[in-house]
Amino acid sequence: MSQNNTWLLPEGIEELLPPEAAQVEALRRRLIDLYQTWGYELVMTPFIEYLDSLLTGTGSDLDVHTFKLTDQVSGRMMGVRADITPQVARIDAHKLRRDTPTRLCYMGSVLRTRSKHFGGTRNPLQVGAELFGHDGIASDVEILLLMLETIRAAGVRQLHVDLGHVGIYRALVKQTGLDHEQEMALFEALQRKAIPEIKALIAGFDLSDSDASMLNALAQLNGDETVLDIARELLAAASTEVHEALDYLQQVAVEVQRRNPDLSIHFDLAELRAYHYQTGVVFAAFTPGSGTEIARGGRYNDVGKAFGRARPATGFSAYLKVLVRVAEEQQPPRREAILAPWSENAGLLSLVEQLRNEGKCVIWELPGQQGDAQQMQCNSVIRYSDTGWVVEKL
Amino acid sequence: MSEMPLTIALSKGRIYKDTLPLLAHAGIEPVDDPVTSRKLILDTNHEHIKLVVIRATDVPTYVQWGAADVGVTGKDVLMEHGSEGLYEPLDLKIARCRMMVAGKPDATYDGDHVRIASKYVHTTERFFAQRGQQVEIIKLYGAMELAPLAGLADVIVDLVESGNTLKANGLAPLEHIADISSRLIVNKASWKMKHATIKNLLEQLSEAVGENNG
Repeated sequence: MSQNNTWLLPEGIEELLPPEAAQVEALRRRLIDLYQTWGYELVMTPFIEYLDSLLTGTGSDLDVHTFKLTDQVSGRMMGVRADITPQVARIDAHKLRRDTPTRLCYMGSVLRTRSKHFGGTRNPLQVGAELFGHDGIASDVEILLLMLETIRAAGVRQLHVDLGHVGIYRALVKQTGLDHEQEMALFEALQRKAIPEIKALIAGFDLSDSDASMLNALAQLNGDETVLDIARELLAAASTEVHEALDYLQQVAVEVQRRNPDLSIHFDLAELRAYHYQTGVVFAAFTPGSGTEIARGGRYNDVGKAFGRARPATGFSAYLKVLVRVAEEQQPPRREAILAPWSENAGLLSLVEQLRNEGKCVIWELPGQQGDAQQMQCNSVIRYSDTGWVVEKL
Repeated sequence: MSEMPLTIALSKGRIYKDTLPLLAHAGIEPVDDPVTSRKLILDTNHEHIKLVVIRATDVPTYVQWGAADVGVTGKDVLMEHGSEGLYEPLDLKIARCRMMVAGKPDATYDGDHVRIASKYVHTTERFFAQRGQQVEIIKLYGAMELAPLAGLADVIVDLVESGNTLKANGLAPLEHIADISSRLIVNKASWKMKHATIKNLLEQLSEAVGENNG
């Protein structure tokens, strides 16, 4: 290791430089404004809190991802948030305690012990919205639409949505009587669509032909909307829960498609994102040029139970830096800046103040500094002319 | 087949040679020959389908990142690399072999402090951990057979095809870990966005595999 590498950042830890930082910040402001118009109230959660609170409910998958340290004051373990969702659930369940539907949004840095996606960052900027206190299609559709608006606000145009419903797999597991170990083994193989392994696993489970064929069908049930009809046929012997879930999924899709006629919707009944805490419809968004999903969400009822009050909930989250990087329509890094000669002249001072009040960027040219207006990335200068101090375009 | 652009990642050598007839069944044939051409991206008889020919261990990486939509890689590589971001829907039943523990015919490898040479570090660790054994793993990149002979390791974990190389060096296969063959892997995002194209390819390859092994 070279002796002079104090500039080096840890693996997966990144910082934002101009102009990208400005693009991310501009998007952050647009999104906060967007959520405000939909009635989502902003919450700012702490960067660090007791580990127990971070790892309950939706946080149960987050143990290995969370940086931990001991609180010298209380002696308890604290964790740096790896996901803001559990914190927002805590706020809804314990702090706000409203009886009405509660809409909250959040935005902030999270820290992960390992990058969630190979090669990804360990300090993403998470953004998201959650709707608590309503169980049904209307709230799921609202959240899905807001996720689409979020992505569009970032300038992403070509959108694909993937829809699934974890209730289908759950109900089939219950109906076929798989034990927990079998359930998790099959779940793991389903996530890889490892069809040869799925077949071998199910063959070893000692199930009736009808049960085995239903579980085997899951991995094949993906594609356009015709998948739902095929599913109804292949899963004809399934419990009413399964059929209700299929109907629910279809209704969500119809509602979303009605408002987004050009949106490409893909169904995947074996896609079980965050299976441990999701309870209903799950979804993710994809765009060409990104090899992974760019936003995800779904229903996770009973969240808040750990904080004393179970409430139905649905929500989505995305990462700001990812959205900015995949956007096709990048706002050109435009800098309208005026360079002012350093002086204590009252006329100049009042002009600078006036320009700044108008929202313009005015930079003092410091006495003896290096670089002219162009090198300072200014496109105007202030000069003294016959008519007094004036702004001159370069 | 619809006109969505599709990139297929293959590795040089045996997998490439054995995959070509399967792709031909799906109507995809390379225009360039990777042996004579120095090109890394090969055109095919379809404008929108390209082949990239890379190292076997790099195939999952290309597919995970979406630099290739689909790829062909050994189950050994997948076991070692992990499957995050990937689907592995089809066993192509080519490049078949076994992953085995091998060593001198009288070698013992029970108890602690057993030294094992392998390029499959994670897979070896998992295999021995599953039976409650802590082992010391020495990562090597080639010529595994030498390790027990030179006293570097007690046994090796490696792919065994005919067993001839082992035999020629006075070694024997000792324990079976897994059956290995090549898998078709697919990037998760590509699966969602190019579904019709990929499902079509999958069906035709699946048919070709069926005929090969009928």
